[in-house]
Amino acid sequence: MSMQTKERPVPNGVVLEMTGDLTYANREQFKTAVETIRQKGCRHLILNMAEVRFVDSSGLGLLALVSQNFKLSQGKVSMLKPQSYVREIMSLANIQKLIPVYDNEQDALAGHRRAA
Amino acid sequence: MSTFAAGEGTRTVLVVDDEPTARTALAARLKRLGYRVIEAGDGKAGLESLRRERPDLTILDWMMPEMDGPSFCEQVRQDPELLSSQILMMTSHDQPQQIAEGLARGADDFLSKAASKYEITARVQAGMRTATLIRRLEDVTEEIRRKQEVLERELLSAARYVESLLPAPGTPLRGVQMVHAYRPSLGLGGDLFNIVPWSEDVLTLYLLDASGHGVSSALRSASFSTFLRRENLLHHVGSSDPGAILTEANRQFPLTEDGNYFTIIFAKLDVRARTLSYATAGHNGALLHRRSGEVRWLARPNFPLGFDPSTTYLTEELPLRPGDRLYVLSDGLYEVPTSNGELWGQDRLEQTVHAFGHRSLSDVLSGTIEEAVRWQGHDHFPDDVALMGIELAEKAFS
Repeated sequence: MSMQTKERPVPNGVVLEMTGDLTYANREQFKTAVETIRQKGCRHLILNMAEVRFVDSSGLGLLALVSQNFKLSQGKVSMLKPQSYVREIMSLANIQKLIPVYDNEQDALAGHRRAA
Repeated sequence: MSTFAAGEGTRTVLVVDDEPTARTALAARLKRLGYRVIEAGDGKAGLESLRRERPDLTILDWMMPEMDGPSFCEQVRQDPELLSSQILMMTSHDQPQQIAEGLARGADDFLSKAASKYEITARVQAGMRTATLIRRLEDVTEEIRRKQEVLERELLSAARYVESLLPAPGTPLRGVQMVHAYRPSLGLGGDLFNIVPWSEDVLTLYLLDASGHGVSSALRSASFSTFLRRENLLHHVGSSDPGAILTEANRQFPLTEDGNYFTIIFAKLDVRARTLSYATAGHNGALLHRRSGEVRWLARPNFPLGFDPSTTYLTEELPLRPGDRLYVLSDGLYEVPTSNGELWGQDRLEQTVHAFGHRSLSDVLSGTIEEAVRWQGHDHFPDDVALMGIELAEKAFS
């Protein structure tokens, strides 16, 4: 399945609404979307994963890459509402240790971590 | 039938008509327009000319004895060699119904026998344009096919090289038996495993999986396997400790700019001390099957290599007993879906290994792969499959 992304500015950050699969086939699209946001000077990227059905091993690498790149430009990345299957895949690679997971946007913006 | 010689680059028209006067008149007109013309007096001779001369365009009379125009078209469209031929069908009266039937049975366009010379010229030129496009498409397709063949040959030779890096099955160390199976999904895989005898009593082994696909993952795997050579590890790490080796590898192999990385399990088997020590990085494919029947996975979630440059990977150690077996495998073996998407999964794999008990190692390996194939319903694995079985012999050092 392909992937659609849409950015939405919020106070002190950008939410990237993602729909589809975060996979090898869609890597260029995801990288471009995220790099565009980073180069505009965004300090807090919030990936809304609610509509992402599947993440493959390449997708996990992209998430780690995004987290590293934002760290290099003094920014941070958070994640919203991943589906349970996606959460399971990500937990095998400990992604939640690189990218904090939140259940709602307010918490993500405030940076307060709830039990996810 | 007669053929008229023409120069290079001249387009050829085949005229098929049983009526000699009409045929000769049309042929003469086409020749005046600069085309090379072949004539045929009936459908059968027409098909023979079509096959032999491959004209750019065929102009065909509808009404002919034995094989009429539409039957001629049907035969052409069923013949893989001829089916892209352009056919212009002639009728004496152009009823819409008749035109529809002609098109349905395989004609590309129609020409009334009463058509003016301007219309004939225009229709022939239109047919030629289509014929040119089709020829070009066929040439390009053929060129792509040839290039694809060259690429596939190169991939195959690269795949042979990768396979040459794999260890020979047998007895890598006294008291240890090893077998393996390797099924790359694209001929050229990003999975690689090896066994490296470290000393008289110690064996190290690893299985790594490069993310991504095809040539670039295979190249990265080959480069990583060079890092994992004994001399290099002695030089860079100074020990055979799995955790220390992965911690150093994590520094040496950061994420690529495309976010590609490795997962790996690295294990060390000390035959004299009867211990297994190991470390993993994002890899969860090692199954310990004890002689007692107990089966357990040897992995916990942690970062793949390159995810966090400051990670320290820790070594776990377990006592081994004679007859214990270690299966090291890539996730491509159990992440196989049925047609409705359900994965075979680690639990079913574990049950399968358990059920095989202590049949020979090679029987367990081939039987496990057969189970995965049965689950997905076909022989083609979507991802690389690598599987290595190691057994500590019953009578080692006893």
